[in-house]
Parts: sequence; C-alpha cells; structure tokens
Amino acid sequence: MNTPIDPARLDANWRAITAELDAPRPARTERALRAIGVPSSVVRMVAATPALRRSWYLSIVAVVLLGLGAADPAERGSLFALLVMAPLLPVLGVAMAYGTSADPSHEMQLATPTHGLRLVLVRAVTVLVVSVGTVLAMMLISPAARPMAAAWLLPAVAVTAASLALMTNRPPRQATTIAALAWFVTVLVARVVADDPLAAFRVGGQVAAALVAVLSVSVTVVRRGSFERIEFAR
Amino acid sequence: MTAAQLFVEHVAKRFDRREALVDVTLFAQGGITAVLGPNGSGKSTLLRCATTVMTPDAGTVRIDGLDPNRERERIEARRRIGYAPQDAGFDVRTRVFDAIDYLAVLKEIGGDRRRRRTVLEVLDRVGLSDRVGERVGDLSGGMRRRLLLAQALLGGPTLLVLDEPGAGLDPDERLRLREILAERRRTTTVLVATHLTDEAASADTVVVLGSGTVRFAGSPGQLAAHAAGRVWVQAGFPPPGVRSSWQQADGHHRCLGHPPAGVDLVEPTLEEGYLMVQDALPTP
Repeated sequence: MNTPIDPARLDANWRAITAELDAPRPARTERALRAIGVPSSVVRMVAATPALRRSWYLSIVAVVLLGLGAADPAERGSLFALLVMAPLLPVLGVAMAYGTSADPSHEMQLATPTHGLRLVLVRAVTVLVVSVGTVLAMMLISPAARPMAAAWLLPAVAVTAASLALMTNRPPRQATTIAALAWFVTVLVARVVADDPLAAFRVGGQVAAALVAVLSVSVTVVRRGSFERIEFAR
Repeated sequence: MTAAQLFVEHVAKRFDRREALVDVTLFAQGGITAVLGPNGSGKSTLLRCATTVMTPDAGTVRIDGLDPNRERERIEARRRIGYAPQDAGFDVRTRVFDAIDYLAVLKEIGGDRRRRRTVLEVLDRVGLSDRVGERVGDLSGGMRRRLLLAQALLGGPTLLVLDEPGAGLDPDERLRLREILAERRRTTTVLVATHLTDEAASADTVVVLGSGTVRFAGSPGQLAAHAAGRVWVQAGFPPPGVRSSWQQADGHHRCLGHPPAGVDLVEPTLEEGYLMVQDALPTP
C-alpha cells in the first residue's frame, strides 16, 4: 500500500530530529537545576551568564571560610564578620552579573520583550537562594553561630532590595557599592550607640531592615522602567 | 508578516554637553535604510532610540504606532525588533548554542524543542551551524559578528536594526550578509548603521548623519547625484583647493571639488556624493 508523503511534514520532522541531535548537552549546573524542577527558561536566564556563576562560587567560598572561623566559640570577631558579610553576598552576585560592564550581551537583552526587572529579579533570587542556603548551612553546623543563624536574613533582603532600588538611578556596581557602604556604616553605628557588637541584628535592627526592604521594593517597582534603559546599566 | 513601520520624529539626545542627536526625523517601512555617517555622528544613538533601549530627551519614536514610553506598548514593540548593537557580544566562555538560546528565551520563543530548532535555524542561516558546541572565545571576529546577526534574526523580527554589521567581515561573509538582508527586504524594515559607502549602496534609502543632524535622506542615486558636476578626471597634478583627489591606476587624477574650466566631468560615485553632503558644499 502506498502512503502519500507530505514533503513539508517530512522536512519539519527531519529538522526536529536534527535539532535534537545537533543541540549540545546542557552544562552540569543547568542539568542540576532542571533536575530539581526549575523551568528550562529560568535555568537559561540564570546559567547563561558566566559572571553570575563566578559570583556564586566566590560567595560560597567566602561563606565557608567565614563559617569555619565562626565555628570557634572563642572567636566572637569571626561570628561578627560572618554576620556582616553574609547580607552582602547576594548583592555582590547581582552586581557582578548585571549591566553592560558585567555582561557584553546586555544591550541585546534590553531590546527583547523580557522586562529588565524580571531578569534582574530572577538572578537576585537565585543568588539569594544559593547564598542563604550556604550561610544557613554553615551557621547551623557551627555551635557558636547557631543562635544567630537567622539574624542576617532580613538584613540580606534589605541590602539586596536597597541595591536594586539604587540601580534604578545609578549603574549596578555603583549602586551596590553605596548599599554595601551604607550597611557597614549602619552596623558600626549601631555597635557604637548600643555598645553591642550585634546590635544591628537584634529586634530594632530587624524592624529597620524590614522597613528598608519594603521601601526599596516599592521604589524598585515604581521606577522599574530604569531597568529597560541602557543609561542605567553601565 | 508585514514590515514594521518605524517613525522617528524630531528626536534629540544629549550626553553631558555633547549633542548626539539634534531634531532627527526618519520614517521607514520595508526595504533597507542605511544610516551613513562618520564615527561619532550619532548613528548608534539613533539606533538605540529606534530600538527603545534608549529614551530620547525630546521627540517621539513609534514602532507600528506603539509608544515605547508606555510599558506594555514597549514590550509589544520589542516583540517586533531584532537588534545587533555595535559593541555588544557574548561572554567568551559561553557556548555558541547557549548564547543564542539565552536570547531566544528572552525573546519569548517558548517550548524547548521549538526553541532549539529556531536557534539552530538562525545559526545555520549565518553559517555557524557547525560551531554550536564551541566557545564564543574560539570564534574569529567575523564569526562573532555573524553570531550577533543570528540572535537578531531570532523570532523573525519585522524591524531589523543592525549597527555596523559589516565590520570585520571578509568578502564572503559580507556577501552572505547582503543576501540575508536582501531576502528580508519585503517583509522586514531593515535599519543599518554604517560608515562604509559600499554597504549603503545596496540600500533603498540612505540617511546621512553629521554631528547628530540629518544632512540627507534619499536614494543612493540621489546621494551620488549631489556630487554631479563636481567630479572630474585630469592628467597631471590636481589644482589647489580641490576637496579630495586620488591617482587612478591609469595615472590620471580623479578630483572632487569646484572643477576648473575645460575639464572632463565624470559620473560621481556614492562616496563622492556623501563627501559633498558632509561638506555641505553648494551644488553648482
């Protein structure tokens, strides 16, 4: 029996088969993220930027080193350093992966229908999740740091949100530097005023961090158009 | 699929004290429009405004009537745009396939299989289908330019904007680029910035920019005609005061400027018309 052949369908099928054969295998990081259920488009947004991966690795190494220092109950200074540095890790990750200076394809990304804020949020959340997971793990295995294990989470969200809010008016690296300096000053001032090294992480500091986070998110949402323009992405 | 309508009206852009664009108006729908001008004349700024990645200080940009200042309309307008900036590229550690696939995700080309097929199609179109697994850093300069073109072709844009697409391409690659642009003439509005007159020669319309202003807009033939009556060939050295002159293979000098009496005038080239427009010399 002769079956009629549709050349167009045959061609489409052939192209589909060759596409499956020709496309290179995704990298290990991508395969791992897909395996835990992250959608492939999100995986691509996150993993396509080598600068972002580098910032992950750097933040993980930094946290492990600080965490090892904080594990010693006699080393109160190391715990303080871990708490101060931990909220900055997600911010550094975002700054290292966004803008024309970090990502040569940034201008092309701006001309696509994907909103710049969505892209930066996907990356910020990714870096936040990786950093939070690593820091929490390090703190939980360290008896000296365990009581303060969650104390830096709200400040981390606040500093990241403040950095994003500043990015609506300043280039990413400048915005991040300002947010980081503001965080350092806040921690030092709180320490001196309250005569307590961890004052910024107590109840008053947590409330202040929550307010900063809410305010920053509001500014970011209102001024989200800035993430769509090249003027603020250098 | 119809070519997008691009309307740039009285656009101005300033960087600190430098005026990059001054009252620039441009309309294009279908065909190839070449924006010709020297370095620093405002070509890239104009293209950035046209692709909505930069907001002009004054004036309006519309793509199919959509206003880029409104978020929803800007996103809709961007669905029609394919853009290859001049200085952009990809991280050298990224694989060729991954680089284009990433942009395909941002261009909302959904479905893993469909996206893979689309990515391989555009890579094939620019002659890079045998390089999909290589790192961008392993490609030659010309291949990287083709990679930029590939991402611009993703999703079949109706407004294709290319900034100096021929820079760094060898003759074969330039021919391929010309073919790609020519086959999109009917269905796509192509806007190409260049400082090379031979690239502009194949355009339907040429817009000459100088110091951020439009000095000329018309066909390549009309641009060349600007030098009509200003080009001549003579034996011996050219007279003083000519705009430019060069010695041809036959030893004669081809001169551009105010011709002395009795010389043999010749047909001007596009380049000579362009030089006359840039100099704003009065036509005889």
